[in-house]
Amino acid sequence: MNDALLYLRQLNTASILLRLMSAMLFGGMLGMEREQKHRPAGFRTYMLVCLGASLTVILSQYEFIMVTTVWADTAELVGIKTDVSRFGAQVINGIGFLGAGTVIVTGRQEVKGLTTAAGLWASACMGLAIGAGFYECVLIGFALIFLSMRFFPVLERAVVRNARNMNLYVEFNNVDDVAAIITRIKQHGIQVYDVELDRGSDEDALQKPSAVFFVRLPKKEAHIEIISHLSELESVTAIEEI
Amino acid sequence: MISIFDGLRDVTLASVIVRMVLSFICGGLIGIEREFKRRPAGFRTHILICLGAAITTLTSQFLYLNMHYFTDMARLGAQVVAGIGFIGAGTIIVTKRRRVKGLTTAAGLWTSAIIGLAAGAGFYEGAIYSTALVLLMELVFSKLEYRVLRNAPEINVYVEYESRNTLEKILMEIKQMGVQVTDLEITRSSKTAPEKNGACAILTLQMSKKCSQEHLMNRLTETAGVLFVEEL
Repeated sequence: MNDALLYLRQLNTASILLRLMSAMLFGGMLGMEREQKHRPAGFRTYMLVCLGASLTVILSQYEFIMVTTVWADTAELVGIKTDVSRFGAQVINGIGFLGAGTVIVTGRQEVKGLTTAAGLWASACMGLAIGAGFYECVLIGFALIFLSMRFFPVLERAVVRNARNMNLYVEFNNVDDVAAIITRIKQHGIQVYDVELDRGSDEDALQKPSAVFFVRLPKKEAHIEIISHLSELESVTAIEEI
Repeated sequence: MISIFDGLRDVTLASVIVRMVLSFICGGLIGIEREFKRRPAGFRTHILICLGAAITTLTSQFLYLNMHYFTDMARLGAQVVAGIGFIGAGTIIVTKRRRVKGLTTAAGLWTSAIIGLAAGAGFYEGAIYSTALVLLMELVFSKLEYRVLRNAPEINVYVEYESRNTLEKILMEIKQMGVQVTDLEITRSSKTAPEKNGACAILTLQMSKKCSQEHLMNRLTETAGVLFVEEL
């Protein structure tokens, strides 16, 4: 058992194939989870990122081995040693870029795609560990990443329900109606700490004026009640918690 | 240095488990607080970033300590510092009022990545102390911030008024009271209601000690042409 593990820590056909294939497998499993929720980065994205990350580390290990064996004379002559983690390091940076591209700001001042970016980045880091042949770390890392992706949305929703902070997106017929909405909100004793007003477009009747209220509730209260209370106003055409 | 961690300084199965779980917990603790505040980066985002960062330092220590490759152990971790900066940049928004939002979110995400690095490197003390400090900061200082906001010398006032001339009057009134307008955003009614040529404005006011908030609000309400005044 120990011998087999030691063998797979070295660079040979079996270990290279094992690493590349497990990178695809683990990346794919994380991607599958995201794909089911129709997130932008899905099955193949995760697979490719994980595979690429593991290949970079394998590549630098290959170069290290060549420098110490076949190219040893040249290496001595030129006097350059290659650093095994240089390739991998840039992966971390590069996938950070890729992740930044998945983050979007919607018209409602809502930031989306951050979990996708973080997940993609974490799976790239896992890919590096796979490429290094650091199997223990991969298994534990995969288990923890999968756990947080699969089961924590439930926990997150529970937190959101009980949170005292609330972001309300409200759409209404006319800009003059803001006064009524603010009065309604203040009736509850809710503290408004920020407002973003958007007066909509004059040409496009579909694009109504809207506002995002960032509020803090005085005590724990069901968000639904506040939303329904606000929706009683005639001028409000749409209301949503974001 | 705490001696109970001495057995976990090398990269072994036990230390890998402890480090990963520690980074998971640290990220989760910081993340859940952000989630309660309804900030864009929540629970899972922080956990994933923290775990990923821990994997990088663990991997570079593994390459050096266990596999004896020639490498700089700090190299992988160093890129985390830059990489998470990019992801954080995505959370920063410039709103229509030309204000910047999401900076604290980005900074918090970045800090939890660094805590992940420390946890993964086996610098348990650094990770634990920093997490405690971050939580302390978020829990205590945000309360402080809310309190400061409540008694703030700077307030946001929402005003609705009848016509363009009214705004001039409002600004005159405010100036007379010795209050400074630091920011002004005007939204005019859309053409869908042409009978109303009024508008509304959000004023950011720098209060002075001479003038109480109530007094200001009363004066504004009494100004002719003002339809509605409310402090935000």
